[in-house]
Amino acid sequence: MHTLPFDTVLIANRGEIAVRIIKTLRKLGLRSAIVYHEVDAQTPAIAMADVAIEVSARTPIAAYLDIAQIIAAARKANAGALHPGYGFLSENAQFARAVIQAGMAFIGPTPETIELMGDKIRARNFVQRNGFPVAPSAIEEDDPATFVSKARAIGAPLLVKPSAGGGGKGMRIVRDLDTLEDAIDLSRSEGQRYFGDGRLYVERYVEDPRHIEVQVLGDAFGNVVHLFERECSVQRRFQKIIEESPSPALSPELRERICETAVGIARAANYQNAGTVEFIFGRGEFYFLEMNTRLQVEHPVTEMVTGIDLVAQQIYAAAGRELDFSQSAIVSDGHAIEVRLYAEAPERGYVPTTGKVLLLEYPHGVRIDSGILQGQHITTAFDPMLAKIISHAPTRMDAVTKSHRAVQELVLLGCETNAGFLARILADEAFLGGQFHTGYLEQNPHIAAGNTSDGLSAFLASAALLTRAVRDSADAVPELHAAIGSWRN
Amino acid sequence: MLSLSFTQQSAVGEIDVYHTFEVDGVDHKLWLSPCRQGYRLHLTDQVIAPVKFVSHNDSCGLLTIAGEAEPVRFVVDGDVLHVLIRGRTRTLRYRDPLRTLASVAGQDNSLVARAPMPGVVLTTTVSPGQSVSAGMALMMIESMKLETIIRCPQDGVVDRIHFEEGDSFERDAVLVTLTKEGR
Repeated sequence: MHTLPFDTVLIANRGEIAVRIIKTLRKLGLRSAIVYHEVDAQTPAIAMADVAIEVSARTPIAAYLDIAQIIAAARKANAGALHPGYGFLSENAQFARAVIQAGMAFIGPTPETIELMGDKIRARNFVQRNGFPVAPSAIEEDDPATFVSKARAIGAPLLVKPSAGGGGKGMRIVRDLDTLEDAIDLSRSEGQRYFGDGRLYVERYVEDPRHIEVQVLGDAFGNVVHLFERECSVQRRFQKIIEESPSPALSPELRERICETAVGIARAANYQNAGTVEFIFGRGEFYFLEMNTRLQVEHPVTEMVTGIDLVAQQIYAAAGRELDFSQSAIVSDGHAIEVRLYAEAPERGYVPTTGKVLLLEYPHGVRIDSGILQGQHITTAFDPMLAKIISHAPTRMDAVTKSHRAVQELVLLGCETNAGFLARILADEAFLGGQFHTGYLEQNPHIAAGNTSDGLSAFLASAALLTRAVRDSADAVPELHAAIGSWRN
Repeated sequence: MLSLSFTQQSAVGEIDVYHTFEVDGVDHKLWLSPCRQGYRLHLTDQVIAPVKFVSHNDSCGLLTIAGEAEPVRFVVDGDVLHVLIRGRTRTLRYRDPLRTLASVAGQDNSLVARAPMPGVVLTTTVSPGQSVSAGMALMMIESMKLETIIRCPQDGVVDRIHFEEGDSFERDAVLVTLTKEGR
């Protein structure tokens, strides 16, 4: 067995992904170090890591964005490599450079690649120049004077987006070209407000689009492979809720074309380490959307169908090793579905929820990637994702059944979650039939709303019987009186 | 306790004692009476019998309701019960009848403005001792980038503001206590 050039990895992240990374570090015989903000002191990753170093800042999120403190902690822990997880600094080229300059391996692609793909317009132009499909578009920066007329020429429907944007902010769909100029003004002011940059671009909008992404992996020797696709169309406000592989929307031929396109793009960018190429798919056509130069939340779906540990592959690539399998050796087996458990109430407009996790028991027979423990307080300090439940089975229907059973078996009391909502999606006809697109939840508000009065009497009965005062009053009421007593309006 | 009379509550009719559980912001009145196989559950629109609950430990039990047996997972946290039945989780808050009686009878002149969701106080626009009217803005809160104005429920006088700007709070937390005017 070859040894790695480092024995300690610092994780600059938190929650479930930190736990996930530690699991692989342990498997590889590596020491794990982690930074954490005080509010995360009781979270599972802190207890699991070999070394935990507290960092502080004005807010918890700012602590995980503090480059200087994180690098100092890595040095203190004698880390030879650093894993940025997802979110936070994972796609910050300046951070990647600082890590490398501090003499550590950055477990991710090169800073240059992060910069290229981080600028959406630059990435899009790069992909187009290399002959890969992008949605017809107009970029303001290229020629502000003709921007509006070029946008008009693309035709409706189109999407107006801030070029510095992300996460769906400032984006607008324009179906009626008469409203185009207003939409441009609004998106511009939002781009300025959220990203400090009012520049825009417009793109053909694919109706009933499906979000299909391809996992890629590259090494420092020019080898690039794909690990098939994931479909992530069940989302709301551009936040993913359910992901799966393979995509029920693709024929084998389309699947091959999309995956090969992703590899082509990654190869053209000399991509190293793990990444994901995202496409918009609809009506038999697909267009490059963007490339994420990090490990993604939904990576377990790919791990389940391919049997490949992506975090381990990231570490090997960062250690300068050559990929030790070829494309033909990567096989997709069965079907995997991931559902994201959030601390939110879909029944009340997805409002975030809080509380103490008083009771927590995980379902059996599925993979659980979790960042919470019984006894932990759920607050609004961070993103509300609590855990991921991933099922793997020979067919899609089996995987759906398994996921449905799992969310029903999950016990999490003390903080309201979207578990009931997940169960409703997994039982919904459109989802079962694989017939959905990114507008699916918005067009089916009854799924989020659920049925509030359904089965309520069983809950009232349990509550009444568990409450001593209620039982005591009952025991003191003579049976005859009770038989004749009644409510009267 | 059994002889408390809620004469102002004409909807109750002949029954003197009921208990209230709040679920998703809605109050549900009920009471239990004994019957041979357990209890009779009296709800406003129906009576279900027999009902019985057997606790196996402090988080696991079996509910028998109208002939069906349902495994139940639960946690009792003071007046709050978290219950899971057939994959569905709900939180029920027991409203102590004595406390309910107190506010209905007007013995306690307090009015409260509660937080509709967890969050952080951004700005407070009133101060203790200030006369306020129904609908007036009391404070601005923020939760996951959603800004909401907390408005005064009824005319009154601000008694106490329980959180300062920058403080965080949970859902249902009492943000501001008011007293009725002319107390």
